[in-house]
Amino acid sequence: MSATIAAQMIGADFLKLRKKRGTVVWALVLALAPLLIFFIVKALQHSSNPTAHSPAGGTSGFIDGLRVLAVFFGPLAAIMIGTDGGAGDLSAGVFRDLVVTGRSRLALFASRVPAALAVCWLVITIAYIVVVIGTYALASGASTPTAGLIVNGFLFTLFSTGVLCIVAVGFSSLVGSRAAALTVLIGWQLVASRILENIESLGSSRKLILSQAVAHFSPVSLTDSGGHGPRGGATVTMSTGVAVAVVLLWLVVFLALGAWRTRTMDA
Amino acid sequence: MSTEESQPVHSRASEPAQSGLAIETHGLTKRFGERTALDGIDLRVPRGSAFGFLGPNGAGKTTIIRTLLGLTPADAGTMQVLGLPVPHDRARALKRVGAIVEEPRFHMHLTGEENLRVVAAVRGPEVRERIAPALARVGLSERAGEKVKSYSMGMRQRLGVARCLLADPLLLILDEPTNGLDPGGIQEFREMIRELVEQEGRTVFISSHLLDEVEKTCDAAAIVDRGKIITQGAITDLATGGARDELILAVDDPDLALRTLSQSEFVSSAQRSDEGIRVELARGHADAAGINAALVHAGVGVARLEPVRHSLEQRFLEITSRLDADLIPEEVRS
Repeated sequence: MSATIAAQMIGADFLKLRKKRGTVVWALVLALAPLLIFFIVKALQHSSNPTAHSPAGGTSGFIDGLRVLAVFFGPLAAIMIGTDGGAGDLSAGVFRDLVVTGRSRLALFASRVPAALAVCWLVITIAYIVVVIGTYALASGASTPTAGLIVNGFLFTLFSTGVLCIVAVGFSSLVGSRAAALTVLIGWQLVASRILENIESLGSSRKLILSQAVAHFSPVSLTDSGGHGPRGGATVTMSTGVAVAVVLLWLVVFLALGAWRTRTMDA
Repeated sequence: MSTEESQPVHSRASEPAQSGLAIETHGLTKRFGERTALDGIDLRVPRGSAFGFLGPNGAGKTTIIRTLLGLTPADAGTMQVLGLPVPHDRARALKRVGAIVEEPRFHMHLTGEENLRVVAAVRGPEVRERIAPALARVGLSERAGEKVKSYSMGMRQRLGVARCLLADPLLLILDEPTNGLDPGGIQEFREMIRELVEQEGRTVFISSHLLDEVEKTCDAAAIVDRGKIITQGAITDLATGGARDELILAVDDPDLALRTLSQSEFVSSAQRSDEGIRVELARGHADAAGINAALVHAGVGVARLEPVRHSLEQRFLEITSRLDADLIPEEVRS
């Protein structure tokens, strides 16, 4: 398959996702609304009692905003988009119409991943811009993050959401139902992994939890919020090598399962 | 479907036949657990024809289409599409095949034109320029910018055909294509099929349970039931089957007519029926004019003399009722 066809197929998948107004709007709401609420509430607290409450923006506000976006709500938006990207053709019943073109099923699967990532990162970038605007606009004289931290924070946000988005594409392609994949992945991300990572008796096996491995790459500490902001993130320490291996394991397993199911299913 | 405003998607189906058959299967078998959906199907679809694949619901029509297109694997047998073995050479074979399986489905949140862009992207860079002509060919140019969720069933069928035409197909495979169409739409659809075959040299394979539809649209057909091909051939041959030529007569003196006919060398048998006198002609003596002359010579006034037209529907019912009878145990029948 030529690069031109691959690019066209990715463009077509991007079109399908971009035009799905419900998915894109809800992903934007998930990514933006918590940030806006967070900054507004903190700004009101600071304006009502500046000595008791630090400014909403500044370095502290940036780190809290990064946690909200990269650890909590950004991954949920990524799951919404990824599950739609993985099961969209099947849900609409057009998968068989694409198969009868004679194009390889693996190519049909492969084009879903970059398209979903592109839509996901578009949404996340808009949300990250809100974080940066809030950081500077609501600093109230407090120190602001360095350009390096802003860039690293952005890269980490893209990484944490991108990994979840790819896992979601693979999982929904495997399951074949967007609703089922969405329910399972959000349940895992919001509930199951949070519970598992706090069960100390599980010991080092908790390193296999995806959110723990992803949190290893955060440019800021995700465990200490100074008692003011949202908590969450790494509770298990691991080396960079182990974190890379765990993230790769999740990606490879779910991409392989999604590709296998796409290749072998009755269309 | 609009034909006046349409531009040809392709002037004439190019790449002349490597073999004389568009579809050929030998011993094609497909099982779903204990149930055998296709039981050793030997199918031969000639190129450049409209071919009907006729059978009752659940006979295996859609299964053979899905198997030919690689949507589900066969358990045994061989298949060739456009002279190429499938699934071995499936990508090349399907490059010039357009298909609608069951009902045409689309991304409802996209416009008609965007849905075609999605398929064009998968088919290849040269296909995009066929989108506008394909939409014009099926009379959807004006509505191409509207979301498919606002389309009627008939419009979706037409958009499905446009999607098939993107392949500049040598072979179109259409599964129950007139489902959901109103009588006007069915008539337009028939005309379009005939144009595709007669003017553009394409092969159209139509699966249907509507006998009348196949008889009016197709040149040849296969009748399938319970996963087996019962018979296949030209529509006229299938309709007449092994039946002898028959006439219906309306006369002023039926008794004299029957006596005269019983002595005629042209007549195998003659008997009264609700329609008049039904005459079965002797083999090799299918001479209605001779019968008429004999009756007139005997003094019988002939008000009506009409050859009996054997329809595909009659033939189909004969075949399937024979099958049903074969399935009933001997002791129950007796």
